[in-house]
Amino acid sequence: MANDKVDVVIVGAGASGSVFAAVLAKAGKKAVLLEAGPDWQLDDLISSDIWGRRIKPAGPPFLLEGKNPYGYVYQAGWGTGGAALHYFANFPRLLPNDFKVKSTYGKGLDWPIDYADIAPYWDKVADDVGVSGDAKAEEIWRPPGKPYPMPPMRTFPGGDAWKKGFEALGMRLTPAAVGINSTTFKGRPACIYDGWCHVGCPIGALSNPLVTYLAEARQAAAEVRPYATVTRVLTSADGAKATGVEYYDANKQKQVQEASVVVLAAWSAQNPRIMLSSATDKHPDGLANSSGLVGKYLTAHFASGTSALFDEDLQPYMGTIAAQYFSYDLYDKDAHKGKGAFGSTFMVAGAAARYSALGGVANARLDLFGAELAAFMKRAARSYTRLNAFAEEMPAIDNRIELASDKDEFGMPLGKITHSFNDEAVALFNANFDKGVEIAKATGAKEVWPNKGPMPTIHLMGGTIMGKTAGDSVTDSFGQTHEIGNLWIAGPGIFPTSGAPNPTYTILALSLRGAEQLAKNWGSVAG
Amino acid sequence: MDEIERRAFMKGAAIGALAFSVGGAEVMLTPRQARAQGVVLRTLTADQAATLDAMGETLVPGATEAGITHFVDQQISIPPEQALLEARIMNVKPPFANFYRAALGAIDGASSARYGGRNFAQLAGNEQHEFVDLMRQNKLDGWKGPAAGFVYFLLRSDAVDVVYGTMDGYAHLGVPYQPHIAPTRSW
Repeated sequence: MANDKVDVVIVGAGASGSVFAAVLAKAGKKAVLLEAGPDWQLDDLISSDIWGRRIKPAGPPFLLEGKNPYGYVYQAGWGTGGAALHYFANFPRLLPNDFKVKSTYGKGLDWPIDYADIAPYWDKVADDVGVSGDAKAEEIWRPPGKPYPMPPMRTFPGGDAWKKGFEALGMRLTPAAVGINSTTFKGRPACIYDGWCHVGCPIGALSNPLVTYLAEARQAAAEVRPYATVTRVLTSADGAKATGVEYYDANKQKQVQEASVVVLAAWSAQNPRIMLSSATDKHPDGLANSSGLVGKYLTAHFASGTSALFDEDLQPYMGTIAAQYFSYDLYDKDAHKGKGAFGSTFMVAGAAARYSALGGVANARLDLFGAELAAFMKRAARSYTRLNAFAEEMPAIDNRIELASDKDEFGMPLGKITHSFNDEAVALFNANFDKGVEIAKATGAKEVWPNKGPMPTIHLMGGTIMGKTAGDSVTDSFGQTHEIGNLWIAGPGIFPTSGAPNPTYTILALSLRGAEQLAKNWGSVAG
Repeated sequence: MDEIERRAFMKGAAIGALAFSVGGAEVMLTPRQARAQGVVLRTLTADQAATLDAMGETLVPGATEAGITHFVDQQISIPPEQALLEARIMNVKPPFANFYRAALGAIDGASSARYGGRNFAQLAGNEQHEFVDLMRQNKLDGWKGPAAGFVYFLLRSDAVDVVYGTMDGYAHLGVPYQPHIAPTRSW
């Protein structure tokens, strides 16, 4: 079934798709967002780690392989807001040393842009969605920028406990920049520090897309179609232009949505899957893939967590799931060079504790069960806190997404994600445990241990990397594919390297930069 | 609007209980209530339920009474996109019932091989503890099914969910639950 042609069809109503929708709808374009999951409302967001699993997919549409298989579903979004409906809202930036890794160290890749190209958009996003923090304090690590629109969040003993350890080692912490309201902001209330951010904030204090860019897009008449699963991007007979998308609607009926511009904003895994599934005789290896790089150079973060118990009542249940403090003191790519490691580390301290589920206190001692677990839970309930060291792996072409031979219910090939960490990443993972324990011991905590286990895969970036030419990349720095001018990619898939910080702030900034570029050049881009 | 008002302002949306079938009608109950009322299981067999009860209790004391078996049984009997299980977010391929059948079968198979034909529920407490300690380390001979360590992780998570992941669980630990939108009382 065909629908009336629109100006832009956006695949995915998460963080990046919502930015494109808001910018383009406000520029007068008829925008349709096709979202594979439900259209969540704020009052769906129950404060429960059990009920919070509803806002993630039910099983991955990917086969997961490699030495460190990618933990897809925990990270993914399903429904409006996407993964940013359950994100932690830490809003750190990349640093200048993230953009020329290949040129500087002979490893990884270079970005085609620099810190200064994105900096104004981080500032714009802060004013758009609301960021709390101390920008001036962060200047010990980064170039100056605009102040954040809100002061830092309140802190609690579970965060403050780490300050002594950092000071003892001559390391620095600043108030964490977070996309959460420390005061009322644009009619949205201030946070009440209940710690339920990660299952969806229903009061709008946390800047999830439902209350920021997606709300703006809807106000500007963008249309959201939930339960719309896109299977192909359609192209013109000569292969030069995208003409729209094919999708299956809530009744599992095939639909076609023609559009002048197609924006793929379905995350780093699904975008390449759709592009590879859209092969034609003019694009036999998938769309925008003459370089063979669609699906390649996936990157994930990993985190080395350190736990500590104190004698004091830390009120660990108070706060937000985002950090209270953060530190870039180990951000030099060679900070752990002596241990065979390479890559930046970004440290966060003082997230509110939950007691069940993947990141809960019970999983801080996965070796315990039975009476020993029960005793630990009682002991930790009011005395537990955690430090997390997030770190980066270098992009490797073998970390990739391909099509599998198995198909989903719509006949679309499943994807296969292959992911392995290299030796330098493993060394960085281990070095950060050593450093975390060293810091924790210096706090005076009565019990300290590293949360060692299988190396986790956190966030997902790459797969449709940006670059200067069609020979070395899939898109330009705005997300416009080199080969099909009206096919754009939004989201972390265009990151050539990941840096170490949480990616959403940069996703929003790059999406804003890309969407404004698209709006400005609409006449020459639209098909 | 003060903090208390804001915290409570959406309480009317509370929908925490699960739908269990009682006498042909759908009734909203917590798993603990469903167990106490003897609600008939939909998917798990009696043997599988006995194994899950025993495993849940070995992993987290209180899990049996908190209704781990009714929780899992109800969850694997509904469409996967409605499921609230940890299996959902750990990349287990739906239908989730397949994973639980395979996992519980592997537990009893390995238990039977190690302890002279006795299923896990028939073991003494010290034997159950020994078995689980080997299971979590992938050190059980004769294990046939999903990786033993992964089964340990997911069943432990289910047990933690029903014991500690609820409002009652937080109260038991002496920490405030502080919901914006509360699941129904006790769940």
